[in-house]
Amino acid sequence: MGRKLFGFGFGRRHNRKRRHRLDISGKELFLSDLQAGERVRVVAVGGSEHFRIRLMEMGILIGDIIEVSKYAPLQDPMEIIVKGYHLALRVSDSEKIIVEYLKD
Amino acid sequence: MNDSGKNIAIAGNPNSGKTTIFNALTGARQHVGNWPGITVERKEGRFSYKQISYNVIDLPGTYSLASYSIEETIARGYLIDEHPDVVINIVDAANLTRNLFLTTQLIELGIPLIIVLNMMDMATEKGLEIDTETLSILLGAPVVKMVGRTGAGAEELKQAIALAVEKGPVSHDIQIPYPRELEAEIVELTSELARRKIARDRLRWRAVKLLERDKTSTEKIKVRANTSPLLANVDNAIRRIEDIYKDTSRAIISHARYGFIQGALRECVRETNATPFDYSREIDKVLTNKWLGLPVFAGMLWLMFQLTYTIGAYPMDWIDSGVAWLMSALDKILPTGMLSSLIIDGAVGGVGAIAVFLPNIFILFFIIALFEDSGYMARVAFIMDRIMHSIGLHGKAFVPMVMGFGCNVPAIMGTRILESRRDRILSILINPFMSCSARFPVYVLVVGAFFPQQAGTVIFSLYALGIFVAIASGKLFSRTILSGMSRPFVMELPPYQMPTFRSLMLHTGERGIIFIKKMGTVILAGSILIWALGYFPREVQLPKDFTALEIQALDDWKLLSDQIDQRFAESVEIGKELYSSKLTPFEESQGYQILSSQRNSLHTEVSVARDSVIADLHFEQMAETMEQKWIGRLGKTIEPVLAPLGFSWRESVALITGFVAKEIVVSTYGVLFGVGSEATEENVGIIENLRKSGMTPLVALAFLVFTLLYTPCLATIAVIKRETGSWGYTAFSVIYSLILAWLLAFMIYQIGSSLNWLT
Repeated sequence: MGRKLFGFGFGRRHNRKRRHRLDISGKELFLSDLQAGERVRVVAVGGSEHFRIRLMEMGILIGDIIEVSKYAPLQDPMEIIVKGYHLALRVSDSEKIIVEYLKD
Repeated sequence: MNDSGKNIAIAGNPNSGKTTIFNALTGARQHVGNWPGITVERKEGRFSYKQISYNVIDLPGTYSLASYSIEETIARGYLIDEHPDVVINIVDAANLTRNLFLTTQLIELGIPLIIVLNMMDMATEKGLEIDTETLSILLGAPVVKMVGRTGAGAEELKQAIALAVEKGPVSHDIQIPYPRELEAEIVELTSELARRKIARDRLRWRAVKLLERDKTSTEKIKVRANTSPLLANVDNAIRRIEDIYKDTSRAIISHARYGFIQGALRECVRETNATPFDYSREIDKVLTNKWLGLPVFAGMLWLMFQLTYTIGAYPMDWIDSGVAWLMSALDKILPTGMLSSLIIDGAVGGVGAIAVFLPNIFILFFIIALFEDSGYMARVAFIMDRIMHSIGLHGKAFVPMVMGFGCNVPAIMGTRILESRRDRILSILINPFMSCSARFPVYVLVVGAFFPQQAGTVIFSLYALGIFVAIASGKLFSRTILSGMSRPFVMELPPYQMPTFRSLMLHTGERGIIFIKKMGTVILAGSILIWALGYFPREVQLPKDFTALEIQALDDWKLLSDQIDQRFAESVEIGKELYSSKLTPFEESQGYQILSSQRNSLHTEVSVARDSVIADLHFEQMAETMEQKWIGRLGKTIEPVLAPLGFSWRESVALITGFVAKEIVVSTYGVLFGVGSEATEENVGIIENLRKSGMTPLVALAFLVFTLLYTPCLATIAVIKRETGSWGYTAFSVIYSLILAWLLAFMIYQIGSSLNWLT
């Protein structure tokens, strides 16, 4: 119980090695896979409808460009920049956002 | 709602500067309360412009009018049911796309709308040129440019309001365009709503909401008779749309709204390629830095407490001496009797004890307002979210938790920084376990008596136990009574801003005044109650005649001091006979001086001993009296309940008085254990008497744990009721903490005694 109760630590991001992250072609990239400073484009958003609508309400649309600003000191949540404003997202939520690197 | 004026509602995204504009319109003429029965702040204010008075209501900040969160439900309910004369939609001009999403829904609602482009200065800095005339035509509503922080544009806004009110209700001829097949379904549903006479107005809004599978709208229709064919048609329509567009209807509709916004913005916003200096990002390089973020936050908290207690100490002393002066002044004016005792000991003493904390509370609120207005609070949430999330809370909930170490009352009021009602209730319920400063003197006293060697360890363990119980309870609640209400965490980190002094004062003032008003009344009632319990019945049967004993004691001591004088006189006689010098009289000789100083010191010794005996008698009398008063009888009555924890009626009485305020426990002990109400932590007598009373270290430990965990004070109960708006949660909090306190103290005492530990 003790570990669950204080279920936080300073370790590496727990989602680093996710089983289902890579499909066979090895192409799918999630927002949670990125390092601070990387810039990507939103390809698709998964998860519950509530979450998808919430992201839309907060202004994250498909095709938008996201820059990962940083991860919080305890590695979660992460800070992203969309259209010039800063948003905080939990890593467990950003796992549901599929992104791609910009072409150039 | 006041009939005499026009009603204006302010709607907008969080961080769009709604409150700043609300303040700019109403100034200090505002009132903060809660929406009925719920834990969301409701702000109302008034202003007059050209002989017309306006009531302004600041709706909760929302990103949308879906009914996902309580704030959205409130905002939407108000807009639909209360028919405000005008709605002012505050829009952050620097983030138009996202902010206008709410606007599209307001347009669909068909309420007279004024759009305020706030933070124009920031938009200009970002290189945005906005053609407000075109925007106004495209959105079908007047558009006013403002800079809320400086108040620029407030006059234009008032003019626009007056104009909109004068024109009366207008219908928007602007429609948000939807894709062709969706549009067809909307038109079909609109005419069906009219044909079936289900609604007369807002047909398009209702149709769109039904197609979005909006819960509130569907429920509203469902409860009416003969609506199942309509709802079946809605379901079919949704299925058709989703088949065509391969997405949920809600997502399609939201996309269409954004399509409309992007189309409009293409026509009236020009972006010059200025890349403004993102100073917030630079500040965050330190404040949310991987290594520095947490230490800096810890430093800020330390500073917050430091300022609260050091600066607060000066006015605290003034209030303290002011109260003392008032009490002694009243004592001189009022004739001795019940009334004077009621006023002086009950009312002034009791309320004075709380008034002393006012400076601390105001300073704490000021610093919190500083954190909020500057934008630092969002960063606190960012860096603490990982920890708070583990107990099912939002990162921001950390701040009220820490404030709880100072005083639970402002801390519980501080939960207002949380936006979701569930989060607020959860943090309100766990807050009392954070050991507040009023509990500290109790720890010092009892620990000093029984654990002088390990004092630091024991006190630290108590604080740690409080934190542990808070976390464990948080986990428990978030998985049981408060489960399932959580929502995705997508939080804005707004740009840092220099807070204006005016808004800081408003924030601090409004919360402080609530504290004074509400806590004043409750504390007054509670102090009078405790006073009455200790004052009645007037006639008590004491086992000894203390008056006679006192006279007897005084006589005995008189005899002793007479004996001293007699012995002195005899000694002087003998000395005179032996005295040989004729030059000076005996009274001036060294021998006489020795004798005389011996006599004086004996007198002093005797009078000190006499005073202490008399004082002991007084205190014994007080304790005996207390036992016979209602409060003592109450203690005896509940003694059986607390006996399994090893507590006698004395502990019971102390714990009862502790309900009013924890620090009272110390003064109650002072009276009960015969050291007087002036008992302080340093008082040695009380510690000795505590030891003599038969309390063992084990009982003391159980008592400390009980003190830590049970309801901190009456003011806390009152503020829980006020902030949750529910007697249910209030009763739950009191009962839960009592049971928990009892169980833990029981375990400590029973396990300890069976192991013969600390006995």
